[in-house]
Amino acid sequence: MEDLTLLSGRQWIINQKDSSTLEDCSKVPVIENGLCNRCGSKVECKLPSGKLYCRACIGLGRANEGDILVRCQNASQFSKLPNGGMTWNGQLTTLQQKISDNLVLNFKQKKSSLVHAVTGAGKTEMLFQLIAECMKNGKRACIATPRIDVVNELFPRFEAAFAEIEIGKYHGREYQEPNLDQLTICTTHQLLKFYEAFDLLVIDEVDSFPYVGNDQLHFAAKNAVKKDGVRVYLTATPTEDLLEEVKQGKIEILKLNRRFHGGLLPVPREKLFIKPFLNKKGQIHANLLAEVKKVVKSEHPLLIFVPRIEQIPIYLAALKKKLKDNNVKIVGVHAQDSQRIEKVAAFRERKYDILLTTTILERGVTFKNVWVIIVAADDPIYTAASLVQIAGRVGRAKEDKTGLVLYCYHRYTKNIRSSIKQIKGMNK
Amino acid sequence: MRQCLLCEQEFIPPIKFAQIFSLKNFRQPKICFHCLNQFEKLTGNRCSVCSKMMEQGIICSDCKKWQKIYQGEVLHNSALYRYNSAFHDLMVAYKRRGDYVLREVLQELSWDYLSKTEFDYYIPVPTSPGHQVKRQFDTISAVYGDIVSLTPLLAKKEGSHAQGEKNKEERLKTPQSFFIDKTIKIKENIQTGKVLLLDDIYTTGRTLYHARDCLKSRFPGMHIESFSICR
Repeated sequence: MEDLTLLSGRQWIINQKDSSTLEDCSKVPVIENGLCNRCGSKVECKLPSGKLYCRACIGLGRANEGDILVRCQNASQFSKLPNGGMTWNGQLTTLQQKISDNLVLNFKQKKSSLVHAVTGAGKTEMLFQLIAECMKNGKRACIATPRIDVVNELFPRFEAAFAEIEIGKYHGREYQEPNLDQLTICTTHQLLKFYEAFDLLVIDEVDSFPYVGNDQLHFAAKNAVKKDGVRVYLTATPTEDLLEEVKQGKIEILKLNRRFHGGLLPVPREKLFIKPFLNKKGQIHANLLAEVKKVVKSEHPLLIFVPRIEQIPIYLAALKKKLKDNNVKIVGVHAQDSQRIEKVAAFRERKYDILLTTTILERGVTFKNVWVIIVAADDPIYTAASLVQIAGRVGRAKEDKTGLVLYCYHRYTKNIRSSIKQIKGMNK
Repeated sequence: MRQCLLCEQEFIPPIKFAQIFSLKNFRQPKICFHCLNQFEKLTGNRCSVCSKMMEQGIICSDCKKWQKIYQGEVLHNSALYRYNSAFHDLMVAYKRRGDYVLREVLQELSWDYLSKTEFDYYIPVPTSPGHQVKRQFDTISAVYGDIVSLTPLLAKKEGSHAQGEKNKEERLKTPQSFFIDKTIKIKENIQTGKVLLLDDIYTTGRTLYHARDCLKSRFPGMHIESFSICR
């Protein structure tokens, strides 16, 4: 018999013919009534044998009709450290402390919460006491987020804050043997591998791609937490479905309208353009160029967001041509860029003055004193949440609480209006 | 509106002029315009033997090696697309993950060309029985079986590793692992018939030359060419 202790709380697929004895495991058919039991998707595609298979979660190994989904449900045991293994001894602001206390209280009462905190409020620090409370009782927790970058940013911070706890880190870009960790930090996709595993599941940046609006990942998140487990959602821009759950009283909303430094969120400036941002000759619009030059003159680093990856090299060439006399260093970065991490780091160290990018840098990143210009803010790729997040990159430092956020648009969209309304609402 | 098999976004297939007046049933596109554009067609100067794209010259370095080994008896291979990263991702999803429905994408890429060819026999390059059991389908026959009528004359011995997991040198050193499947009924004219070998990717040519060797040893008079979607 295999030792399954490391697989506690996980689920995986076995072949029908596989007859190994699996103690403390439940078995269900992976495809049932045209639905995939692992990811909840509707299953429509067939193999030549006529058997259905699930395309939606095929990256984790193909789930075929007739295969069995094994769920390991042996009770995991963790040591109960007196302070929950927390080695962090920083100080929270009064507002942060209030939220943190509420989270601990809700966890004790088995109540789920939604933390609606502005960008730059210091959400991560507010989680520490909640995680410590969970660890203290020998219970298991998971912090999941849709973005790999955010997993990579959270992991070292929790490692430092909880030096005595074994923390697991899982995402699709690096292979990791499954382990039994008391605290797991992973992408929301990884939750598909868990079943009723966690006493506490925190989902950071719930409003971001690909989690938002993705039924598969919502299904995974629901399955990964124990029946009597507690969920905590963190966001700067709550989605409609979560607000609906708040209304129904299923979760409690905790609001934090101030950044940790007490400053207001910078309200974006809007600028209407009639002619295209780039004309047929590939020249940049004079007014847009003037705005860029103003920022350069003010000596703030500038993030320029464009809607699509393909546009980065075009804008890059156009800007380089126009700004070559000003001795300005510009670089572009996108999701598939092999030098992404290096370029972002170089921009942070002020080795570049301007960074051209797409929505990949909309959240989870901090650049000191940065100002932002969004080109084509009316593009459908920018949801209201994206726009709020992008605006949230500005004024995060204690010494520099304000700054420029500029929306350049041709058509005033609902998302632009809604994002400005949200920002102003949080500033009240 | 249709849903693209690759990016899952909705798209509107373009309507061709001829389609409106034709009585024939047109194949509906399975992938959107944007995804289709990710696949790069082989254009410009190409190797006259294997279709590889080259800066200059008539025969590529791979084919020159085969010329030496086979005393000029090279295998003419037609290919349509370049093996770029989009194609790599497609093949990983289709072969490694076993996403059977993606055969329709490969069909879309090769249908027009292949349906116009005129050969007496179309022989698919076989996959190892072990892989086939695991995937529950044959990757090559699944693609081409709907386009042309196949004669699965070749079979593969068990235990041979997938070519995709090896480097160039290892690929070239791969021993012969094909044999003739004697259970397949054949007609008399196959001895001198025109045959098109079908594979998905032509990388070094090793696989297709092995397949030809195997056929030639049994049917010396056979006229053999090959087709791969990618080069």
